Parts: sequence; C-alpha cells; structure tokens
Amino acid sequence: MSTEKWKVTFCISRQKGSEQRTFQNFDLEVDPDEYVLDGVERIWAFHDRSLAFRHACHHSTCGACAMLVNSVEKLTCITPIRSVTHNGGVIKIEPLRNFPVVSDLVVDMSRFYQHMEEVRFDQVAPVEKCSLPYEDQPLKNLEEDQERLVDCIECGSCISACPVALTTPAYLGPAVLAGAQHTLSVLDQNRCVLDFIDSENGVWRCHSGFECTEVCPSNVDPAWRIMDMRRRVIANRIKRLFGRK
Amino acid sequence: MTNDSSAGKLLRWFDPRHRKIGSWAFILNRITAIGLTIYLGMHLYMLGKLAQGPEAYNDFIELAHTPLIKFGEMFVIAGGLIHGLNGIRIGLTSFGIGVRYQKPMFVGLMVLAGAGIIIFGVKMFF
Amino acid sequence: MDLTPSQRKPQETTWLWFLKIIAGLLIVFLLGLHFIVNHFLGPAQGLLDYNAVIQYYNNPIIPTIEIVFLIVVVFHSLVGSRSIILDLHPSAKIIRIIDIVLIVLGSAAVIYGTWLVIVVAAK
Repeated sequence: MSTEKWKVTFCISRQKGSEQRTFQNFDLEVDPDEYVLDGVERIWAFHDRSLAFRHACHHSTCGACAMLVNSVEKLTCITPIRSVTHNGGVIKIEPLRNFPVVSDLVVDMSRFYQHMEEVRFDQVAPVEKCSLPYEDQPLKNLEEDQERLVDCIECGSCISACPVALTTPAYLGPAVLAGAQHTLSVLDQNRCVLDFIDSENGVWRCHSGFECTEVCPSNVDPAWRIMDMRRRVIANRIKRLFGRK
Repeated sequence: MTNDSSAGKLLRWFDPRHRKIGSWAFILNRITAIGLTIYLGMHLYMLGKLAQGPEAYNDFIELAHTPLIKFGEMFVIAGGLIHGLNGIRIGLTSFGIGVRYQKPMFVGLMVLAGAGIIIFGVKMFF
Repeated sequence: MDLTPSQRKPQETTWLWFLKIIAGLLIVFLLGLHFIVNHFLGPAQGLLDYNAVIQYYNNPIIPTIEIVFLIVVVFHSLVGSRSIILDLHPSAKIIRIIDIVLIVLGSAAVIYGTWLVIVVAAK
C-alpha cells in the first residue's frame, strides 16, 4: 500500500435537464494510485449526493464508466489518477461526446445499443473468432468448441472520440461498424448486416481519423475493423455486379 | 440536447487539441483539399489566357513571376505534396493495407512532403 | 428491403467512394507525370512563354495526357467536395440540388478544359 497523498481538484461537468453545462470544483486528497472513478464516487458519497454518473463492475468489464477525462475518453475505473494529473493538479471530467446528456456525467446510449442489436452483435462468440487476425491466437488446438465474451464492452468511447460522429448523430459510429464486422466474421456473409452498414450513415462516412482505436480501452481496434468491412463490402459489390448473390 | 451546439461542432471538427496523429492527418487533408480545389478552378481560369493569344498568356506568366504569386504557389506545392502523400496512406489503409502502421506511415510520408517542399522552395527562389 | 435508387436517400455511395480513392491514386501518378513533363521534359525552362506551349502541344501525347488528367482531377475534387458537404448533414433535397450543381460544374470544367486543349493543340 502506498501512503503517498496528492491534493487534486476534480472539475466536474454538471448539467440537469435542459440547463446549460457548468463546472463544479471539488478538492480531494487522494492516493495517486487510486482510479479516477474512485474520486468521482467519493465526491458523490461525501460531497454531493446529487452527482449523477454510471458505474458498475469497477474492473473494465461492464463499460458503464467511460467519461471524458481531461478531454480524452477514458474508462475511469482503470485510469489511475497518476496517469492523468500531478500533485496539486486538476482532473476535468465531462460526459462522453456525441451522445445526449441525461444528467451530469450520464449520457443516453439507447440508440447506440439499438444499433448494436441491428448489426446482430453477439457478446459471446467462438474463441477463435474473438481475436483480431493479426494477433497471436491465445488458445490453439482447442479440443471442443469453446466460446468467450468478445472484447467490445460497448462503453461508447470510440463514438465519443469519432470526428464523424461529431458532425452527425445519425452516423452509426465505430463500435457499431466494428460490431458488424465481428458479426460478419462469425456468420460469414450476411446480406442484411452488409446492407445495414453499406448505407448513408454507414461504413463510407469514416474519414480515417483512427481516433476510435486510440481510445478503445478493450483491444477492439474499430478502425482496423472498419477498413476490413470496406474490403468486404467492395468485394460483395463486385460479386453482385457480375450477378452473383 | 446533445453536448454541443451545431456551430460549435463544426469548429471542434478542426480542433487538433487532445487529438492524435490520425486526426491531425484528417484535418490537414481536409484543409489542403479545399485549398487545392480552389487552386484547380484558378488554374483552369488562368490557362484560358492561352486561347486569347500570345500577349494575354505572356502577360500572365510575367505576373506569375512576382514574389507574391510565387509565395502562393509554394502553398499549392505544399498542399499538393501533403494531400497526395497522405492520400497514399488513406488509399492503402482503406483497403486494409498497413492499417496498424498508419502512424509511422504518416510520419514518413510527411517527412517526404517536407523534403519536397524544401527542394521546390530552393528551386523557385534561388 | 432493397430500395430503388430513386427512393434511396442520397449518400456517400460505395462506388463514388471507391472511384474517388482510385482517382486519387491515379492523380498521384498523373500529377507526377503532368509536372515532370511540363516543367522538366518540355521546352527548355518549362512552358514559360506562349510559343513554347503551342509548339509543345503539337505532340499528340501531351493533349491526351492533359485531358485524362483533367477528367480525373475534376472528378476527384468534386466528389471530395461532396463528401465535405455531406458532413454538414444537409437535407436530402439540398443534397439533390448540390449533386446537380456538382455535375453541371464538373461537366462544364471538363468541356471547357478539353476545348482549351484542342484550341491550343490546333494552333
């Protein structure tokens, strides 16, 4: 146990209903090896019970606690305070971008979840379909079919970081396109999913900013998957051009 | 009730702060794209002088040799090199080639662009 | 649920995007050619006076390269402009108007440029 103590100011975005956003400062004494979410929880517990934020598992499995920490998307439950500020410094915490704000740090992700369903994103898949093709297969020669949870925890960080999602709320966004790519690699080719992402707000809107992959806390590499999707869609289109369904 | 007003959004689109190299490439690409499109229009218009006979064209070439126009041309060369070389990166990654190496690719291509800009600058002004 | 093209909302389509990328890669090659040919292989000191240009255009390969280059560049720049405009998420109606404007603009630029090349080549 470290006994180091830091004085840190949490500058937290507050917004209820249709109010304008304001920032409220909370001075905390923290252990720098604590996580950002620990600080937010302490503010809620000891300073202001009206502070709204989402959290559940505290070990980067549920994806509920993604927030903007000093203007960068972070999964706050695994972001050590040491990594985002210094003793006497400030941590600015805002809700994710590109989602409607419900209250303070809570955003409405229902539309995103709905899109994930539309691309038939399944959180469980055969082990060999879960890794990215360029990675080493962690488990080889499995004797029987084994499944695991896929990497995407649907935290919304990539959509918050995406420069295209910033311009239009209708853009499906990196996680959904990556989810579609995952579905297609499990189900082979699926016309419904292909048509869904080969659409006005689909795979062609991506401007190759690669921000999604930068902020993804869970090794999904959405940018790689979007590029892979493009290749699949083009291949499918060329096949269709020559009359093959 | 989204996070920002739509006017604010458009500005933040070009905001390089807290962004990584991929976004800088995107911002550069978009700015150079707009610049080069404007240049294309001007270039086509100016070459129209060729149809008006020798005097009109030769006068235009004389104008093109003033330092101010040369300075403007440097922007076109810089824009062309940046947009073209970064375009190679976008073209390749769009077909799934080298997506994981997009950052070193960008740095390498921009070093090339920088070298090209210096070479053209030296040739044009000295 | 296949929509016919007229029912479908105008969008960034697969083919436009694909051709934009292909055109972009072609331009890298053609611009290099355009530049080297016009400024280094052309008459001494480049195309810096009227007579040099006229003489240079007598070789039929030059007008051919220039016309192909013109079409590809105009296409790439206008499709690119359309992508930028789409990011401002205009309504379907405005996109249709913009599409028409861009097609007219592109055709005009190509016709004008081709006419210019032919005029110069014929002198």
